[in-house]
Amino acid sequence: MSFPSIKVLYIDDEENNLQAFKASFRRLYEIYTAISAADGLKILESVNIHVVIADQKMPNITGVEFFKSIAVTYPDPIRILLTGYTDIEALADAINHGDIYRYITKPWNDLELHNSIKNAYDAYRSKIDLRNKIAELEKTNDELNRFIYSISHELRAPLVSVIGIVNLVKMEDLYHSSGEYWSLIESCSNKLDYYIQKTLQYYKNNKTQSEESNIDFKALVTELINLYAYSNKDTQFDVDVDQPVPFKGDLFRIEVILGNLISNAIKYQKINEPNKKVNIEIAVSIEFVEIKITDNGVGILNEHLEKIFTQFFRSKNHHGSGLGLFIVKEALNKINGRISVKSNVDHGTTFKITIPNAK
Amino acid sequence: MPNELKKIMLIDDNEIDLKINARIITLTSLFDEIIICQSGEESLDYINKYIHNPEKLPDFILLDIQMPEMDGFEYLEHYKQLPSTFTSSCPVAMLSSTLDFGDIKRAEANVYVVKLLKKPLIPTELAELIK
Repeated sequence: MSFPSIKVLYIDDEENNLQAFKASFRRLYEIYTAISAADGLKILESVNIHVVIADQKMPNITGVEFFKSIAVTYPDPIRILLTGYTDIEALADAINHGDIYRYITKPWNDLELHNSIKNAYDAYRSKIDLRNKIAELEKTNDELNRFIYSISHELRAPLVSVIGIVNLVKMEDLYHSSGEYWSLIESCSNKLDYYIQKTLQYYKNNKTQSEESNIDFKALVTELINLYAYSNKDTQFDVDVDQPVPFKGDLFRIEVILGNLISNAIKYQKINEPNKKVNIEIAVSIEFVEIKITDNGVGILNEHLEKIFTQFFRSKNHHGSGLGLFIVKEALNKINGRISVKSNVDHGTTFKITIPNAK
Repeated sequence: MPNELKKIMLIDDNEIDLKINARIITLTSLFDEIIICQSGEESLDYINKYIHNPEKLPDFILLDIQMPEMDGFEYLEHYKQLPSTFTSSCPVAMLSSTLDFGDIKRAEANVYVVKLLKKPLIPTELAELIK
């Protein structure tokens, strides 16, 4: 059995040992020998060595010292230390500092050394394979992220044109000109847009590094309410912001979190409720912000409370996507926030979130 | 600018969006003339051609972000080198379907941009900017 592709470098100041090594193993591996550490280094520079064997006792440098010296420049080759006598100090040093794979005593036993070299080469291969696999995975993962991100953008542009056309149809008083067809197109387009937006939010939340800026909660909440209450004006908002100190945090994620909770509070109102209400209380302190969003909507069944934060969970009788609260939870995880929920079916729901102030 | 506001320039590579936005502006009579450009280059050529002919120049620009070759942000780099007599009297609003937080922040940070409007164009939002 031969392994000619295994490149072994053996460094020893005794020419006899180098010769003996060559004689025993030259048919098994591609062998390089060096009479000194400096010669060994030259070989490492020009050949992609898999396994390095070094004698511990050499005139200018010990084997362990040599291994230490190449730890950063040549981290890949697997190291085997050869020593003529059992030197406990060298052994301890080898284990602690030399990143050494095997410790073999001289005179070596051919079979033992052969097995060690084989195993060392296997270790070398798995190290390199693992590194390549990781690089490959990172690359595909990155490509997938970018793909989904750009496809969502590309999908959205023509969809937004469609929504623009529907708006024009309304402006030109043609909305009711074809039965309910225009309103059906509109609701399908809005639904599709909602999914695309949630997909983008999810991927951005996964990918984006946390970036901190000052947050004015009063302004942010007002803006979000205007945005989400745009198509549903009969919900009364009662907003109470107590922000005596500045708050630093991740604006993108906090916007995602509040946006989803506010739009849910509007979406899950009771259809026949004459007094649709959403109450938002925000208290900022130096340590954290506490936000309470309470609605008097349909509420959540007790047995569903556990599941509402999981991906694609939705209850049978409501028209959610099963993404909103999942994204809220994911975004909170990224910024060390917490969320809790209390709900009474038919009376409403309260979400309470706490987010640390980055100051 | 009230009542004197006459010409709007639309810059967008998407013909359908140009058509939609031109129609919206016509219906709302926010402007009485629309100059349509299918690229940033076309817009710069137009402005440079009429730079000494102010009655031909736009009073407002609606600029798309994602365009091939010269995108909206690159266009702004060229725009700011135009004579200030023109740029100071012609506000630019960006109009895009982007949800990219980076784009939004970048647009808002640019001194030449009065606002980033989201597609589809809502007439009241445009009216807000020119009153």
